Amino acid sequence: MNLDVEDLLRAGLERFAEQVPVPTGLAHKAARAHRRRMAIRAAAGVGAAAITAAVALAATSGAGGAMQARTTAYMVSRVENALASQHLVFRGQTTTTLGPSVSWVYGPRHRFEELGGNGSQPYLDLGTALIGGKLTNVYVAYYAHTWSLLPEPIPASACSRTGALEMGTPVPTSNWPAFIHATLACGAAAMTGHARIDGMDTLTITGSPVSEKLPAKYAKAIREKWLQARWILYVNPRTYLPVRLASSARTYGGPAPSFLFTSVTHIQWLPPTAANIAKALITIPPGYRRVSSPANQ
Amino acid sequence: VENLERFLAQRGQALLRIAAMLTGSIEAGEDLLQSAIERLLRQQSWLGGDLEGYLRRTLCNLATDEFRRQGRWRRKLLLLQAETRAQADATAGVDLRDAMVRLLGQLPPQQRTVLVLRYWEQLTGAETAELLGCSEDAVKAAASRGLSRLRQLAGPLLHDEAHLHDMAAGTAEERS
Repeated sequence: MNLDVEDLLRAGLERFAEQVPVPTGLAHKAARAHRRRMAIRAAAGVGAAAITAAVALAATSGAGGAMQARTTAYMVSRVENALASQHLVFRGQTTTTLGPSVSWVYGPRHRFEELGGNGSQPYLDLGTALIGGKLTNVYVAYYAHTWSLLPEPIPASACSRTGALEMGTPVPTSNWPAFIHATLACGAAAMTGHARIDGMDTLTITGSPVSEKLPAKYAKAIREKWLQARWILYVNPRTYLPVRLASSARTYGGPAPSFLFTSVTHIQWLPPTAANIAKALITIPPGYRRVSSPANQ
Repeated sequence: VENLERFLAQRGQALLRIAAMLTGSIEAGEDLLQSAIERLLRQQSWLGGDLEGYLRRTLCNLATDEFRRQGRWRRKLLLLQAETRAQADATAGVDLRDAMVRLLGQLPPQQRTVLVLRYWEQLTGAETAELLGCSEDAVKAAASRGLSRLRQLAGPLLHDEAHLHDMAAGTAEERS
């Protein structure tokens, strides 16, 4: 690793330049601004008119940021309320660069199922199972016919760095609505606009991109040093419930080619029927052997 | 304006990159570039000349003037230094190269401009001096002081990176 400041600066400027978009309409914008300034100057000749125009211009430009902040706060609070008050069954169908998975959440029950065999066969399950009448976190490996107890793996919100990085991978296994709720509440995201999803105009909430240094052993294994996670949540403007989550995690900074892992989760909010609620629970198939930890599976 | 728009469609991104590097953010870069274009529109004699050269020069001058006029970079420097120290641990996960661009924003305007022209535009000392309207010696001095300051500011980050590198190398030795 070259730690020479000049090389790092060159590389940094190159990386920074990649983020700069192609500007559009610059000349027209500048011409409009130029005309506006000329008009204000002309108005200055007639005294009070100039002051009015300048004040109006200043008020307009100064109000933009505050307005955006208020809109974000309002939007986020609506989504928080919607998530907190919903009593529906969450179903997330995730497509990733590595394969499909399905998440189910209802209250404290949650289940994350990774599928194999062209998406038709269960490969593994993480989530809650009823053991001795208590909700217990378990990990079931269908391919190995084993299961184990699982500690609660998910941080409370994306405001911690590890939490933020969770958003770059498929929907976490724990209570995803609660996770989103806490993430929005702690201000790690902002409203960024509108997008059409399945013909519906949705509101977009974008999480702050987070870079994290990979653990040394993992970094060595994949010959990369960093992971950057990004996510965008698409929200139904009528119900304020999320309808889609698009996220990505990119490894970079090492000798290996940068790898981009992407996932898109299609979210449905289903009525809490007995059948739907049952899907948020894992049933350990009879005959499966219990092992001490997921690492042994 | 139409001709200018066509020119900017081809070269606008390159100019915006310089503007963003000079100001430290894409948004501020857009504002700076727009100001440069406005100045160009006011001096219409340039419209038939070397537009790119004029805009580059104007960007550098405006970036330097802006900070000087506001007289705030010295105060900002102190604030940013404090911020960098406070964030030393928190930014450990951020790519060093990105950190270097942020640290660039803490340099005085002339040093920052010289480093962008030398390391991004890859101009020679003489070309940089001509563009900025100063002597080549002044460019050399600004580049040297700028790099030295960057090394100083990046010290803790470089140390973290080297430490990780050593740890990884140590692990490899243990394994072998």
